[in-house]
Amino acid sequence: MKRVHRRHSQSCSICCIVPPHILNALARSGTEAERVLALETLAHSARLRGQREILGAFAVNTPAGQKRRTVYTERNGTTLPGKLVRGEGDPKAKDISVNEAYDSSGVVYDFFQKVFARNSVDDRGLRLDSSVHYGRRFDNAFWNGSQMVYGDGDGVIFQRFTKCLDVIGHELTHGVTQYEAALNYQDQPGALNESMSDVFGILVKQWKLKQTAAKADWLIGAGLFAKGVSGMALRSMKAPGTAYHDPRLGKDPQPAHMKDYYAGHDDNGGVHINSGIPNRAFYLTADAIGGNAWEAPAKIWYTALCHNLRPSSKFLDAANATVMIAGNLYGAGSNQQKAVQNAWKTVGVLK
Amino acid sequence: MRITFSRSGGVTGVRLRTTVNEDDLSAPHAAKLRRLVKAADCFRLPKQLAADPKQPDRFQYELTLEDGERRHTITIDEEAATPALLKLLEWLTDLARGGCQDGGRCQV
Repeated sequence: MKRVHRRHSQSCSICCIVPPHILNALARSGTEAERVLALETLAHSARLRGQREILGAFAVNTPAGQKRRTVYTERNGTTLPGKLVRGEGDPKAKDISVNEAYDSSGVVYDFFQKVFARNSVDDRGLRLDSSVHYGRRFDNAFWNGSQMVYGDGDGVIFQRFTKCLDVIGHELTHGVTQYEAALNYQDQPGALNESMSDVFGILVKQWKLKQTAAKADWLIGAGLFAKGVSGMALRSMKAPGTAYHDPRLGKDPQPAHMKDYYAGHDDNGGVHINSGIPNRAFYLTADAIGGNAWEAPAKIWYTALCHNLRPSSKFLDAANATVMIAGNLYGAGSNQQKAVQNAWKTVGVLK
Repeated sequence: MRITFSRSGGVTGVRLRTTVNEDDLSAPHAAKLRRLVKAADCFRLPKQLAADPKQPDRFQYELTLEDGERRHTITIDEEAATPALLKLLEWLTDLARGGCQDGGRCQV
């Protein structure tokens, strides 16, 4: 079912202070607390190196469908994870960022569980840890390989980054991609990686709001800009390049077609720029198929992410994979397959 | 000293750019610039500070420093930057965002 693939090899297999043989012994015969701690330490290191075959050897005790959320506050520092402020099942905090991180990571978890029967980011019940108030006026959010991190924005251009459900979905999907296709974060594979995060981020929003593809706005990060910014959102999947145009930001640089592909060095080869092309392909597919985008279109894309794409996959590989998958799932020559094929043709990836 | 600064990446994908000329700064800010550059040992940093693995949605920076005869360009993955370098980058970010006016609110 799941492919096991090794990322590029590194000289240190598991680097932690406690040597693996001690952790293994504790995992086998320690007390319950020791077992849990040893397993989590080994699994954490293995995850950081994408060593899925090691993870496969450990049974993890989180039953499918159970969230384990923890929210920390950085109090404007940068040493992760920060001070614990809300654990799973704890009541609402006074801090809106804490509550947003908690609630939205829960919605993302529920989406993957209900739509794809996926048990958290790693499909093994990985804890969902979030740190808020990272840095000072930090206008960003990111996934660091094991947790989510959110800044408060600068208050001039950007509001707090926990505000938008699709941004939180975007970050968590980076984790999913890490455990599945592990698309390299550079050039076309990196733009695909970014696009997967936008695709599943927007799907979480549409699923939560019960919006069909036709009714949805297809805007990533709508509502994130502060008052007075001339723009709707960070990105438009429907019309890449139109999300904003403000004197302080410039114009949305995303291309909608391969002819405008960004080939420079900024942004790891334009991963947030060129993602516009596969984003638009997903939107066109969903628009042509109709109904809810989290059904057939999402199933095709999710299958590609989990079974077909590889760390070095490029746009053409994604196009070929999704066309093939649509044929397998819905029949050769089906409307679904035609929708996928036409979408990739329209953006200039398929001829 | 002159520094050309640019930032790319991040979940927003919004790019920042600015050029800081020591001659155009007030005395306190010029002193701060020199202090930050010295503390980060910029002229001795390698041309590339790359993270492996890369963390998604982190920032990338490019700095070109010119001081008399010396000239040095560094490309930096945020997660690979030293704490001292991060302090310099944070201050330059404030300048690029226009939030660091003379007599104003620079924090670093």
